[in-house]
Amino acid sequence: MAQYSTGDLKPGFKIEVDGEPYNVVSNEFVKPGKGQPFNRVKVRNLKTTRVIEKTFKSGDKVDVADIEENKMRMLYKESDGVVFMDDKTFDQITIPLALIGDNEQWLMEEILYDIMFYKGEPIDLQPPTFMEMKITETAPGVRGDTSGRALKSAVTETGGKIQVPLFIEEGQKIKIDTRTGEYVSRI
Amino acid sequence: MFLESKIPLLKDRAHMFHRARLFFSTLGLLEVDTPMLSPSAPIDVHIDIMTTEMHDGRTGFFHSSPEYAMKRLIAAGLTDIYQISHVFRLGEEGKLHNPEFTMVEWYQKGCSFEKIIEDTLNFIRLFLGELPDTQMNYRDLVKKYTDIDYPAASTDDLAGYIKEQSDGYPQDLLSWDKDTLLQYIISFFIEPNLGKNGLFVLKHFPASQGALAKLQMVGDEIVAERFEIYYQGIELANGYHELTDPKEQHKRLEQANSKRISLGKKEMPLDLQLIAALEKGLPDCSGVAVGFDRLMMLRHKKESLSPTVPFTWSEL
Repeated sequence: MAQYSTGDLKPGFKIEVDGEPYNVVSNEFVKPGKGQPFNRVKVRNLKTTRVIEKTFKSGDKVDVADIEENKMRMLYKESDGVVFMDDKTFDQITIPLALIGDNEQWLMEEILYDIMFYKGEPIDLQPPTFMEMKITETAPGVRGDTSGRALKSAVTETGGKIQVPLFIEEGQKIKIDTRTGEYVSRI
Repeated sequence: MFLESKIPLLKDRAHMFHRARLFFSTLGLLEVDTPMLSPSAPIDVHIDIMTTEMHDGRTGFFHSSPEYAMKRLIAAGLTDIYQISHVFRLGEEGKLHNPEFTMVEWYQKGCSFEKIIEDTLNFIRLFLGELPDTQMNYRDLVKKYTDIDYPAASTDDLAGYIKEQSDGYPQDLLSWDKDTLLQYIISFFIEPNLGKNGLFVLKHFPASQGALAKLQMVGDEIVAERFEIYYQGIELANGYHELTDPKEQHKRLEQANSKRISLGKKEMPLDLQLIAALEKGLPDCSGVAVGFDRLMMLRHKKESLSPTVPFTWSEL
């Protein structure tokens, strides 16, 4: 198995410790003047997203996590999962809703999603940062107010609950930042 | 960091070089400048040396401290000396580390362990102001924080303590030796608390961590006359009542080398001229090395070494 030296770990490296996959957040060099050097490494568990601290002797080896990232196209929803397809191999997989979590509100057919696999099993799904979708539910628009400062509740065709400016009407297509769930612009 | 924003601090750096030199001339020390490159290397288990190829086919080792060359001068009769030099340590990089840094090192003949500590505290006060100091033995410090009396403790006791304190401990903990476990405990659980309200002097290290210090009986334990000084959790100085016995010196260098080999590190060429100097006679003396860049960092309340030097390695 490929390995990194703990002294070389940089933010973004994917490592495996005790059978769990982690993303390196930061790495601090700790050394008593004449003594053994250590590394204090902050890592985010790629399955649970929990951030924890691990310490190592500098120069010790850690396994590179068997992580693959792939873009896959959403095909359709089933009762407890969502089916995606690899555009190149046409392989299809079903990702359980439990794994998709809050991102379920940004699922649209035909869109490409970033899916992360650990040892071949999907562990994370990320929607594109910006998505375009229709508003299906909102209070009638207020004519003339185009300042965008006042907001009202709205629901998108994917079921996403967001805040939009008062002038947005049902049926209007808008751009959303899926990281924050915020309205960006009209299309 | 933008170089322009470093200018005021770099001016103060020049000013502090000047004040450091005044401090040493008041103490009666002479400035020396020994070579940075030598065909033999300082041997420390945990300090890795940078090398370069020389014109005559020999390997040149960059010094990690000017200690060996200065001791040769002392044995030859130039006894009270100081040096402000750049030193090099392979692989040491972080907020508090740069692979090349400025070290202030001095030695004084007939200087006791207590006096070198006092002189070092006063040197640090030049930079940080009139701070009070507390002094504690290594054994008492470990006891205070962990309730473990380390000379009697087993490696299991020390590893057990580490496991109780945190979940993120290294998995191979149980295979570590006592010194490594103690260094881990000090680095992660004790050091961050040292010197919060003044200068903290940690002294009388375990004999096994003595490096080039004389051994002494304290209570029922043989300890090394070695000290370190901390301020706000940061190590600033490391000093010894110097080892003068050539046989013991030779033995410790060889021990350090075999420990290096057991850790899969390179064996270093022994500095036989240092041993010869000790055989000729190194007078009773004490010496200390202080990190100049860290002093400047704390003087200016900075979080890293970067603002105190023109360029760190990662900024070049």
